[in-house]
Amino acid sequence: MNALEAEGLVKNFGGRTAVDDLSFAVPQGAIYGLLGPNGAGKSTTLRMVVGVLAPDAGRISLMGGPITRAGLKRVGYLPEERGLYRNMSARAAIAYLARLKGTPAPVAFARADALLEAHGLGAAARKKIKTLSKGMAQKVQVLAAIAHEPDFIIFDEPFSGLDPVNQRVLEETIRAQAAAGRTILFSTHVMEHAERLCDRILLIAQGRKAFEGSVGEALALAPSGAVLETEGAFDLAAALGGRGFAIEPTGEEHGNCRWRVKLENGKGSRELLQACVEAGAPLALFEPTRASLHEAFVALVGEGS
Amino acid sequence: MIPPVLLVARREYLAYVGAWGFWASLLTAPLLLAALIFAPLLLAQAEPPRALVVLAERASDAVRVTAAYEERARADARNEVFAFLSAAAPAAKDAALVAFDSAPDRAAALEAARASVAQTAPATLGAFPNPSPRYSIVAAPANSIEALKPYLNGEQSLPDGTVLFGALNIRRDSEGAPLIEYWSVNLQHSDPADMARAVIRREMQREALAARGVSSEEADRLDALDPQIAQFDPRPGAGASAVTAREQAPFVAAAGFAFVLWMFVFSIASMLLSSVIEEKSNKVLDTLLTSVTPLEILIGKLLGVAAVSATLLLFWGALGGGLLSTAAAQMGNSTMGQAAASVLESKLALIFVLGFVAGYLMYGSIFLGLGALCDSVQEAQTLLGPVTFLLMLPMLLIGPALDNPNAPIIEAASWFPLFTPFLMVMRAPAGLSGAELAGMCALMAAAIALLFYLAARVFRAGVVNQLSVAALFRRRRNRE
Repeated sequence: MNALEAEGLVKNFGGRTAVDDLSFAVPQGAIYGLLGPNGAGKSTTLRMVVGVLAPDAGRISLMGGPITRAGLKRVGYLPEERGLYRNMSARAAIAYLARLKGTPAPVAFARADALLEAHGLGAAARKKIKTLSKGMAQKVQVLAAIAHEPDFIIFDEPFSGLDPVNQRVLEETIRAQAAAGRTILFSTHVMEHAERLCDRILLIAQGRKAFEGSVGEALALAPSGAVLETEGAFDLAAALGGRGFAIEPTGEEHGNCRWRVKLENGKGSRELLQACVEAGAPLALFEPTRASLHEAFVALVGEGS
Repeated sequence: MIPPVLLVARREYLAYVGAWGFWASLLTAPLLLAALIFAPLLLAQAEPPRALVVLAERASDAVRVTAAYEERARADARNEVFAFLSAAAPAAKDAALVAFDSAPDRAAALEAARASVAQTAPATLGAFPNPSPRYSIVAAPANSIEALKPYLNGEQSLPDGTVLFGALNIRRDSEGAPLIEYWSVNLQHSDPADMARAVIRREMQREALAARGVSSEEADRLDALDPQIAQFDPRPGAGASAVTAREQAPFVAAAGFAFVLWMFVFSIASMLLSSVIEEKSNKVLDTLLTSVTPLEILIGKLLGVAAVSATLLLFWGALGGGLLSTAAAQMGNSTMGQAAASVLESKLALIFVLGFVAGYLMYGSIFLGLGALCDSVQEAQTLLGPVTFLLMLPMLLIGPALDNPNAPIIEAASWFPLFTPFLMVMRAPAGLSGAELAGMCALMAAAIALLFYLAARVFRAGVVNQLSVAALFRRRRNRE
């Protein structure tokens, strides 16, 4: 069963199409990444998913049915444009948002205290939001999104504004929530987070779907490569010229020339190694490299995106 | 479990009540209002007599003017004693006034009345008035206006250290016709000249009558001729007796109520504006929107701030009621005391509450809509200009409404729902019929429904689609 199904979503703003015929499905229990550059339509898509915006066309099924108040109570949402009441204490802010989702007051406050304690913010529980650092306030907001123990958690750019340490902490939180059986959908323009966390991803550019599938499937679509070192002044690019490899020098290492080779047109590292041997290249290093999600994205939608 | 709309209202209420500014307003506003009302009276009472000198080419002119001032000071003192005893010790009033009237001069009269009260109502003696005369005629330190100018300009003080307020110079031309000159740096204040004019005018008339052979006794009799004036209220149930100050007082009270209502509606509606702007700038609305609808946020805010208003009204109402009771008891027959008593007895407070609820909902809706269109307080201030102008219009009508609450322009304007809350209060003492009140309420209800509907749409566009004045300007610039 899918926690979320979107079919043919379209959203226009004053003649500009922000989301264009977008369809995707988030399987229950998955960590699902919505990837794309700034302005790709990620936030608009998520705002439609949580019922804040109505799509101009298309259909959304949330937790097996149309978007309803009851369905949304099972959803935790961290918007991209986020903030809390500056004069509220951290625990009051978390409890307030949990109560709006239907959690009884005593439970909401107990969970707020427990979550803050568990995330190293116990000492800040009764401090006003305006006295917390930006990173701490953002952590409080993440906790506010999960305090009502939703089945489906939607985070819009959750890592932006966090330092590397807190990004790592947030990754752990996401994994823990997924381990507890919750479905996670988050958007990001930083591919590394998705690569580390996601079971499935949706790549969008200019409001349109570029790819949907597993991270592995996305990486397979990107060209892999290799890093090589040749001894002395051997010119590898000239030696392998005309064999269909894209080779570029990347500098010198211990007196050796270093090269980066992009493997395209169905050629693999085995063919590259064979070509090097045939050309008599004095290899000091031969290291096949795997494509990154960023490279997969570029391969799918082009550098300009 | 509390419904989300009430949770929003509760948060809104606690956010205001938890702020120190709320408590500051709660406590200081009544003090400021009381100061606004009572300070001028207290200041006037505390002000020392204004020193005047009278120069006259004919000695009898100076004597008559000086006597007129003494007579007025005595009459003012008698009025104060009368007002005080009417409220504080009615049983002691007659005897005290007889004692007052039998004394030769003002100081002796006050002392005689006090002595009478000491015997008949000693408990009230502590609050017995000790009024200062408004003017005192002092000996001139110089005999010409030229020589008096340093005193009049404040460059020199009188021998007892006081400042000379003004000088009356009563001259006579070659044919004996009087010319009154009034010299004072207080250019707006012409009361001393008016009083001298009345005295000299009477003297001129008496001289003219004497020249025509009318005896002094006959002149006195003619001078005493004065019709009695009585004002009546023709409305059913008003009674056959003449209108008293107590019956006139509700009109004064209504003006006060309308002014307070205007201030209250404006300041409370402004809270809604700043509340929406705060939430927009805090970016908290997107978080709320998965739990509550924009309409629920709108209603929650209106309810929350309404609860804040109710808290203020209840506190100020109780305090105001106490103050009015005190004023009614202490100020007796004065217009202020009568106004206080009539406020306590009339239905004005009820109409005030009705006007406040309607005004709050109408202007609150407008301010919420405006707030949703603004990203900053600066933007809101620029948008508030036309709304403030709209709010000022009923204020401009309060003066004319006090003079004639049934004037066609007041009647017509009172049917415009945005003005109705204020002008309804103003018209109430003049006899607002049940049908008129019902009609006005119906129109206000329709206006509230319309404004609320529009506010909800604008609010939704503002908080969901980030529609704002700045965005509209940007879009227009991009098109150009």
